[in-house]
Amino acid sequence: MAALLEVRDLATHFFTRDGVVKAVDGISFSLDPGKTLAVVGESGSGKSVTALSIMRLIQEPAGRIVDGEVYFKGDSVLAMNESQVRDLRGDRIAMIFQDPMTSLNPVFRVGRQIGESLMLHRHLSRKDAFERAIELLDMVGIPHPRDRARDYPHQFSGGMRQRAMIAMALACDPDILIADEPTTALDVTIQAQILELMSELQERTGTAIIMITHDLGIVADMADDVMVMYAGKQIEYGPADSVFYRSGHPYTWGLLDSLPRHDVDEKGTLLPITGQPPSLINVPSGCAFHPRCRYAREICPREVPASREVGEGHFAACHFAGQDGFVRGAAQAGGEVA
Amino acid sequence: MIKYVFRRILQMIPVFIGVTVLLFILRAPGVLPGDPVRMITGERPISDALREQIIKKHALDQPLHKQYYIYVTNLLKGDLGESYQRRTSVVDIFADKFPNTLRLALAAIVIEIIVGIAAGIISAVRQYSFSDVFVTLSTSVLVSVPVFWLGMLLQIFFGIRLKEWTGGAVFLPMSQMSSSQFPDWVHLILPAITLASVSTAYVARIMRSQMLEAMGQDYIRTAEAKGLTRRAVIFRHALKNALIPVVTFVGIDFGVMMSGAILTETVFSWPGVGREIFLAVGQRDWPVVMGGVIIIVVIVMIINLLVDLSYAVLDPRIRYGGAQE
Repeated sequence: MAALLEVRDLATHFFTRDGVVKAVDGISFSLDPGKTLAVVGESGSGKSVTALSIMRLIQEPAGRIVDGEVYFKGDSVLAMNESQVRDLRGDRIAMIFQDPMTSLNPVFRVGRQIGESLMLHRHLSRKDAFERAIELLDMVGIPHPRDRARDYPHQFSGGMRQRAMIAMALACDPDILIADEPTTALDVTIQAQILELMSELQERTGTAIIMITHDLGIVADMADDVMVMYAGKQIEYGPADSVFYRSGHPYTWGLLDSLPRHDVDEKGTLLPITGQPPSLINVPSGCAFHPRCRYAREICPREVPASREVGEGHFAACHFAGQDGFVRGAAQAGGEVA
Repeated sequence: MIKYVFRRILQMIPVFIGVTVLLFILRAPGVLPGDPVRMITGERPISDALREQIIKKHALDQPLHKQYYIYVTNLLKGDLGESYQRRTSVVDIFADKFPNTLRLALAAIVIEIIVGIAAGIISAVRQYSFSDVFVTLSTSVLVSVPVFWLGMLLQIFFGIRLKEWTGGAVFLPMSQMSSSQFPDWVHLILPAITLASVSTAYVARIMRSQMLEAMGQDYIRTAEAKGLTRRAVIFRHALKNALIPVVTFVGIDFGVMMSGAILTETVFSWPGVGREIFLAVGQRDWPVVMGGVIIIVVIVMIINLLVDLSYAVLDPRIRYGGAQE
C-alpha cells in the first residue's frame, strides 16, 4: 500500500542577496494514515520550511522547491496546479502554527474563521458552517461554544486560541495535520492539555500528524516515527523507540544528553551541544555537524555522509553510524572510536 | 457606548470655549489694526450719531467679557450675528455656501477613497512591480505639489490648451454654470481632483504600507493554509485589517474638507465656506470669520467623534466604555 504522504529528496532553497539559503536540503520520509511523525531539530534547521513545502506555501520568488518529490496518496503535490493544491490545503492537509496569538485574524469572529474552510471545501452555507464551528469548538473542549463562537480572538486566552486553531484545522476532517511547534508559545500546563487533546482527537479521527518540535519530551510521548534535522538536512530518521534507544548519530545523542532527566535521583550535569547552529548560507563542508561533533575525524569535513541503515527502517547520516563501539556516551567515557 | 458618546460631547465644551475666547481676544482693541466702525461703514465719512448707533447695535462699547456673553447667548439661540460688509445674517451666508463645500468635499472624498485605496492595494500586492514604482513615485510628486499650483495647471491645460474641446468651460465659476455646454457635475471634476490630490496620495501610501504589513502577518499564512484563493486572502483577510488606519485618515480628512478648502475654492472661484472665510479675513468682516470658524470647529469635532466610533465597528478589539470582559 502506498503511504499517505511520501517525501523524497525534498530541497527548498531561498535566494537572498547574501546567497542561497539551503533551508531544506534533501530530506525523505513517509507517513502512514493515523501515525505521528515528529520532526526534531534546533531553530533554523528547516523544520518549518519542510512543512510549508509540503503545503506548497513557500513564498516565491524568494523561496523555491528546487528538487525532490512530494506524493500525497500517490499524487505528486509538486506537479499540481495552484487550484489543485488549494483543494488539498485545509481540506486534506491542515496546519496549525506556533503562535496562536497571531495566527487568528483579529477582525473576524472565531466561529466564522473556523467555518471558513467548511464553506470553501464543503460548500456549506454561512449558517451551517457556523453551526458546525460550534460543534468543533465543543469537540476541542471550549466551554459554552455557542457563545464563544461569536467572540473575537482577543477574547480568547492563549490555550483557547490554540484549541480554536485545532478546531479550525480539523474542520474538514483532514488526512494529515501538520503542527508547527503548537505548544511552544503556551504555558507548560496548557502545553500538556493541548498535546493530550491532539492525541485524543487523533485517536478519534484517525488523522496522521506531523509534529514539528524541539521538545524531545513531546516526541517520546506522541511520535511513532522521528526525523531529526540539522542545517536543512535529515540526519536521522526511524521509528521513535529505535531513534531514542539505539540512536546512530552524535547529534541526536547530543540532543538526548542535553535533555534534563527527572527519573534519576542524582543531579547529573547536562551535556550541552557546544557551539552554534551553522549559517545556512555557509554550511560547513562534508558533514554539516562536524565542527560541533565530539567524534569528528578526518573524513568528516571532507565527505558528506550517506544515510546508512542502522536498524530496521532506521537511518542515520554519519560516516561511522552502525559501526561497533560507535555508541552514545563513547566520547565522554573517554573511549576511542574504532 | 452611549456613556462614551456623552463623555465625548462633554469634552467638546471646553474646546468650544477655548476657540471662541481665542477669537474674541483678536477682537480686543489694539490686537488687530482697524476700527470696527470703519470696517462697517467703509471710507465714507459718517455723523457722530450714526457712529454712536453702530457702536450700540454691535455692542462695541461694552467690555470684552460682556460682548462675549452677548455673542454666546445669541449663538445658543442660533444667531451668529450679522456681516459687517453685507448686512446679512452670518447663518444665512453659510447656509448658502455650505452646500457647495459639501458637494466639493463629497466629490473629492469619493476620488480619494476609490483611487487612493485601489492604488495602494495594487501597489502592495504587486510590490516592486512597475505599477508599484509608478504609484510610489507619483504619490511622492503629488504630495509635494502645492494644491493651488496643481489647480492652475489643470485650468491652463483643460481651459486653455484644450479650449477647442472644452470651450474653456470646464472650470466655469458656479454662477456661469447654467450657460455652459456641460452638465453641472462636470464643473466639479477639476476642483475635486485638485482638492483630492494630496489626500489621495496619502491614502495610497497608507494603504500600501498597511496592506504590506497585514500581508506579512501570521493570520495570512493561516488563511492560505485553509486553501483560500489569493484573492480571498487579500480582499477578505488582509484588507479588513489594513483599512482601519485608512478609515481614520479619510474620516479626519473629510472633516477638514467640509470646513472648506480655502486654496482650491479660491483658485476655482468656488463659492464655498473656505473661500467665504478667506474673503472675510481680508475684509476684517469679523462676525463672518467668527461664525465660519465656529461652524468648522463643530463639524470637525462631530466628524472626529464619528471616526472614533467607526473604529469600534471595524476593529472588534476596540470597544468604548463597555465593561464587557
